[in-house]
Amino acid sequence: MSDPVDIRAPAPAGGGRLYDVLSLLGVYVLVAGLFAAGWLVSDEFLTTANLLIALRSVTLLGIVAVGVSFITYSRHYVDLSIPGIMALSGTVAVWALQYGFAASLAAGLGTGLAVGLLNGLAVGYLRLNPIIWTLAMGSVLSGLIRWAYAGKQIYPDKATAAGRAFLHLYHAEVFVRVPWIVTLRLPLVVLLLLGAAVVAHLLMRKTGFGAQLRLTGSSYEVARMTGVNVRRTVAIAFVISAGTSAAAGILLTSFNKVGAFYIGKGYDFAAITAVVLGGMTLAGGRGSIVGVIGGVTAIALMDNVMSLVRIGDFVIGEYLKQAIQGAVFIAIVGVHSYWLRKSGMDDA
Amino acid sequence: MSELGTALELRAVSKQYPGTLAVDEVSLLVRAGEVHALIGENGAGKSTLMKIIAGSFDDYTGEVLLNDKPVTLHSPSMAKAAGIAMIHQELTLAGPISVAENILAGRLPSRRGLLSRTALLREARRCLAMVGLEHLDPLVPAEDISPHEAQLVEIAKALGRTPCILVMDEPTSSLSREEVDRLFQIIRKLRRRGLAIVYISHHLPEVLAVSDRVTVMRDGRRIATKDTRDTAAAELVEMMVGRSVSDLYAERTAAPGARKLSVEHLTRRGFFHDVSLAVRAGEVLGLGGLSGAGRSELARSLCGIDPVDAGRIVLNGRAVRPRSYRSALRAGLAYLTEDRKAQGLALRLRMGENILSALIPRHCRWGVYSPGRGRGTLRRLVGALDITPPQPGRLVSTLSGGNQQKVLLAKWLATDPQVLILDEPTRGVDVGAKVVIHRAIAELADAGKSVILISSDLPELVGLSDRIAIMRQGRLIGEIDKADATEGSVLLAANGEGEFVRA
Repeated sequence: MSDPVDIRAPAPAGGGRLYDVLSLLGVYVLVAGLFAAGWLVSDEFLTTANLLIALRSVTLLGIVAVGVSFITYSRHYVDLSIPGIMALSGTVAVWALQYGFAASLAAGLGTGLAVGLLNGLAVGYLRLNPIIWTLAMGSVLSGLIRWAYAGKQIYPDKATAAGRAFLHLYHAEVFVRVPWIVTLRLPLVVLLLLGAAVVAHLLMRKTGFGAQLRLTGSSYEVARMTGVNVRRTVAIAFVISAGTSAAAGILLTSFNKVGAFYIGKGYDFAAITAVVLGGMTLAGGRGSIVGVIGGVTAIALMDNVMSLVRIGDFVIGEYLKQAIQGAVFIAIVGVHSYWLRKSGMDDA
Repeated sequence: MSELGTALELRAVSKQYPGTLAVDEVSLLVRAGEVHALIGENGAGKSTLMKIIAGSFDDYTGEVLLNDKPVTLHSPSMAKAAGIAMIHQELTLAGPISVAENILAGRLPSRRGLLSRTALLREARRCLAMVGLEHLDPLVPAEDISPHEAQLVEIAKALGRTPCILVMDEPTSSLSREEVDRLFQIIRKLRRRGLAIVYISHHLPEVLAVSDRVTVMRDGRRIATKDTRDTAAAELVEMMVGRSVSDLYAERTAAPGARKLSVEHLTRRGFFHDVSLAVRAGEVLGLGGLSGAGRSELARSLCGIDPVDAGRIVLNGRAVRPRSYRSALRAGLAYLTEDRKAQGLALRLRMGENILSALIPRHCRWGVYSPGRGRGTLRRLVGALDITPPQPGRLVSTLSGGNQQKVLLAKWLATDPQVLILDEPTRGVDVGAKVVIHRAIAELADAGKSVILISSDLPELVGLSDRIAIMRQGRLIGEIDKADATEGSVLLAANGEGEFVRA
């Protein structure tokens, strides 16, 4: 018998790969377009200084987005307690500075992971609605911080070594030496983002957990009826997201030099925008970390280009930026669902 | 037959999906006052053709004429306005809402903005009377009526808009034999009133019983249209598959061996009670019974998907107590669900991914998953089950229903189970896929594995099983040997009567 693959003349590839390629291409075409727009809008745009600012400004968002993409991939949309986790982790880290720098980081991360575990138990095991549960969780967390510190902010103590180390954390730079080729001085946060992205990519694409997460995101019932431990899989996604949020929260607190309940505000929405912009649909089981990084880059450039726009006295302020970001999110979700329906790939 | 002229005419209608021409220049003529059956294997293009008529696409080509006037059907509301009513295979009633509101959904009678209850009831009763449901209280929630009544309410809802064309897609899939007969009487009544009815079905005896003319489709094209009087099942099957089907039921070579699985006094309160049975290696045990007899529930509990209240499961001499489906799979039990779309296949993923999805833990080392290790299995199964097109990278949703069902079977065959429980393995699939699936089941048994077959397809159950255990109302009430198993004896026993029912 001949090889079964030869039975038919070359048929078109199934839509799956096509979708992956197109959505990836899409976000990077957008990135290129934004580059062109920035170049047109302002001479300042294509300077190393400006691009570094743009890059730095979204590294934390990138770290958060990489984590939350596991939740989106599992078809549980988003973790709305991200701002709460970021604020709590940062505040706890500042509080724990009295026990040393390492203890501070461990306490901050540990707190975030604990909240993630709680989210995972509630959404994964008790099957509570992820949006409602994490929305409530976010409210609880920010309320707790305000209550604990009576609405006041807490500051790292510059007099101690731990306090100085903490304040330096965000601005730390690392020498990366590739022998005989190049020695680079890179911000620690950029390296952390790269590290998180690589680990997340491998987790999603190369592990059994990733494969089962994809199945769960594609169809929860089918995954359950395939013997996947769906509850644990979903719970892990929430823990991962909380972990990256905690890390970003600690770094953001270091940058702001203050622990407060409002740290991390808006990161939930910005992160999900980046994730969706990167081709990871809210319907689950589609997209990739490479796309998410593209989405984060696009948001960074969009933000940067908007700051550089000056038409006479007109500048795009923070409020308008926020409105534009929301509109972009709506447009992307709309385009995605329209495209999937058109191509007959909408099974939901 | 009354000749009332043409109700619906299609002229060279085509619809292209990415990669496939699903409907290829089909021309079709449906007369007023006739029941026009549309048959074909899965993937033949019937459903796509019907979706065109229902206004699901705005990019079909060709011409559609209603009562000799050309119409454009680019949205469901355009189709409705043109007088086309669809009754889908899956019912579309909203459960918590009353039958009356379901029937009048979208055109609730109101007076000065308020719902007029008397008008609602009057109109709902009028619609229900058309389908012989005068006795039904229009105010009960739709979730409280039987599947049969729901099917009729669905028709009443369609008739309420006084359509000129009624399209029915597999309307009998959830009905019992008597209920089918009642439905046919109603269809005949509607036909006498001059309604044109398009009737899509897999079930040839039903098509022959109810239709005036039959159109056969294959590979997106219309093969032939025949007067039902002048044709027979064999001829239709031949046209559907493009070849003659000689023997549907594969010959078995090996005889059953030692006892492989035994179930002792298994109970899940409210679902099944005190069930004891045994399956031998190389044996196909049929589970017969009416729908709701507890067969699927028994299968799910055997596989750890649902809990067990009492009893014991022994596999290969060892007691097993599956706490989760995962542990049952590891022990060598597998369950092929009856609900392919919701529980069987991840339609969003590729064919190969689906086939290997149950093997992810086995293809992992130190947490690293290498799907490449399943390549041999994949190639073997795609070849053995003749899955077309044989491209593992293709989205499984782009395969025809029959091929999707083969993919589902392949997914469980890939786990190399000791005992495979099949729940309706050929529901809604075409003849060609059925033959392949039956052959695979026979081969699995011949290879010394055990198969438990749950099927409402009586010829299939009788043809494949070595023994048939009968369940009724959650209890095992009898057993029929292969020699005595006929469609009649199984059906009789399933209804709790006849010589094979234990007193």
